[in-house]
Amino acid sequence: MTANADARAGESATERQDAGRREVFQYAVRRFGVYLFTLWAAITVAFFIFRLVPGDPMNILLGNLTRAEGRQRDAEAQEAIIAHYRQIFGMDEPLPAQYINYLRKAILGGLDLGPSFVEYPAQTKDLVFRRMPWTIGIFTTSVLLAWIVGTGLGALIGWLQRSRLSQLAVVISTLLQITPVYLVALGLIIYVGYTWRLLPAGGPYARHLQPEWTWEFISSLLTHAILPMLSNMIVIGAGFTLGMRALMISVLGEDYLTFARAKGLSPFTVLKDYAFRNALIPQVTALAIIVGATLNGTFIIEVLFQLPGLGTLFVQAMGLRDFNTMQAVVLFSIFAVLTLTLIVDLALPLLDPRIRRTA
Amino acid sequence: MAALLEIRGLSAGLQGRRSVTQVVSNVDLDVQSGEILGVVGESGCGKSTLATAIMRLLTPPQVLQSGTMTMNLKDGSAYELLRLSPRALRELRWRHLSYIPQGSMNSLNPVLRVGRQMTDTLIQHGLSQAEAHERSVAALQLVNLEPRLLESYPHELSGGMRQRVIIAAAVSMRPALIVADELTTALDVVTQRQILQELTNIRDELGATIILITHDMGVVAQIADRVAVMYAGKIAELGAVNGIFEAPLHPYSQGLIGSIPRESGQRIVGLPGEAPSPWNYPTGCRFHPRCPKVFDPCSEYEPGLRTQGSGRWAACHLYDAEVVSDA
Repeated sequence: MTANADARAGESATERQDAGRREVFQYAVRRFGVYLFTLWAAITVAFFIFRLVPGDPMNILLGNLTRAEGRQRDAEAQEAIIAHYRQIFGMDEPLPAQYINYLRKAILGGLDLGPSFVEYPAQTKDLVFRRMPWTIGIFTTSVLLAWIVGTGLGALIGWLQRSRLSQLAVVISTLLQITPVYLVALGLIIYVGYTWRLLPAGGPYARHLQPEWTWEFISSLLTHAILPMLSNMIVIGAGFTLGMRALMISVLGEDYLTFARAKGLSPFTVLKDYAFRNALIPQVTALAIIVGATLNGTFIIEVLFQLPGLGTLFVQAMGLRDFNTMQAVVLFSIFAVLTLTLIVDLALPLLDPRIRRTA
Repeated sequence: MAALLEIRGLSAGLQGRRSVTQVVSNVDLDVQSGEILGVVGESGCGKSTLATAIMRLLTPPQVLQSGTMTMNLKDGSAYELLRLSPRALRELRWRHLSYIPQGSMNSLNPVLRVGRQMTDTLIQHGLSQAEAHERSVAALQLVNLEPRLLESYPHELSGGMRQRVIIAAAVSMRPALIVADELTTALDVVTQRQILQELTNIRDELGATIILITHDMGVVAQIADRVAVMYAGKIAELGAVNGIFEAPLHPYSQGLIGSIPRESGQRIVGLPGEAPSPWNYPTGCRFHPRCPKVFDPCSEYEPGLRTQGSGRWAACHLYDAEVVSDA
């Protein structure tokens, strides 16, 4: 080990910097490769899985059309309509050809994901972009808030692990964490929304308003967002609290904590620089992992609170077997999760000097 | 002159569900200013608990049961360590009382630079940033380390360098007393010898007093002035290193010293049996089941630590004329 350290000290500063830059570059290239591969794999799996779901979209479409018009067409006309639509949606070819076409258009056609059935003739891409801000708003805000609150709370109850209050907090967090998110959402809707009428519990904003930059609209938007975000935050935040508490307790047993105390540092400094900072590193990784696992919870919340986000769009699309839209939602979700994970991954070396050079 | 540290009747143990298991029993010990006092004993004899108790770093389930520890500083002030408020204790630590912990390898925070970890406490003890930096550089030089290490992270240092950083940090405020717990255990013999030499230099240059906790009789022989031999939570024998190595009184010390390999090619004489665990200390003298010179009173009552003249103390019935004649 000594020899190693000496050898490293022997390198000139510029050589070290160059080597460092090369490593960072290689790391970035590798990460980007994994990123693209994951996107491709996800879209491929989605493409074939959704087509295995029973039910022909054309029949569903035709059924809706018949119901809307109130009269039955003859078989020949039906066949003609189906053939027409099949061609529009690119479903008149065999599956492998459809797949190749889909990928070709998506990549070379500037993210052309085809038309949607849900809101024909709107492009799937436009549909997703229109719905996306709702999901991003609710999801990222609630996950980040849950992470901040959970990390702070977990650090505190870990630090005060022997106090009664802290032990009570552990029991409560455990109960909240194992509660399914839809139960929490339903509880909030029933009690806070309808029984006590404290906050609105349905829709994106008050029904009589139009989206515009007025205080009335924005405040309505925010009050409508509280309950959906709270449902997400309670469950995710409880998980983050428990995770951080466990990390704190294990850090508190480390030798460097005893040494920090022996040095005569104030408890606040010990907590801030020695315990919290070290426990934070795995907690940041946990954020990246949780991000992927909780997006589906947000979809359920959107449906329960009738928010026009990707979750409701997906449910609508599912009802019509709208492959294009379903695929686009999956593609977008994977993209969002991967991007957040990448940001978190790149932030880690800032916190932990040990992974700066070896990354 | 009063001893730098006077320990009286110190007992510490492990808090169980119903009762406390005593690990350190009723220890009396004077540490003289400027000396290196070695505390030796087998694993589990309570020597680390004693060190932790002196530092007031016992954490649950460890508990302090009774005793007093008075620190008499050169300027005439005296501190009763066990009565200090947390704030006064923080002030005293590092300024007068430093600690070199067991497991020094992991005693530095991996995510903070060495410099930050050395200066943060100096700044909290009232030094300016510049003074703290200057002190840290001076302290690193005492242990033959370059000042540029202040910019390093612990994982960039070798084991010996980390150990030296810990020592440098511990002496940076020129404390009166340093408690070093198993300081060289994880190091190879060459580094071990260098570090012990540096520790001796620090004692000579700073006039510090060092309590050196170790299981290694060789380390004690190399640098200690006096030695306290601990057995089963008690001090069995205490005295100058030379005296104890040449003519140990307590049968346990005799066994320990007999088990050191010698050049003359004699067979090593080991101690039979195992050290008792705190959960079932024997009655009477705690060493009697393993003692080659055991006689009747040994299993009946405990010998006290009695002076044997010229600074030697032993806790053994063999050296109590009354007990021997009664038997």
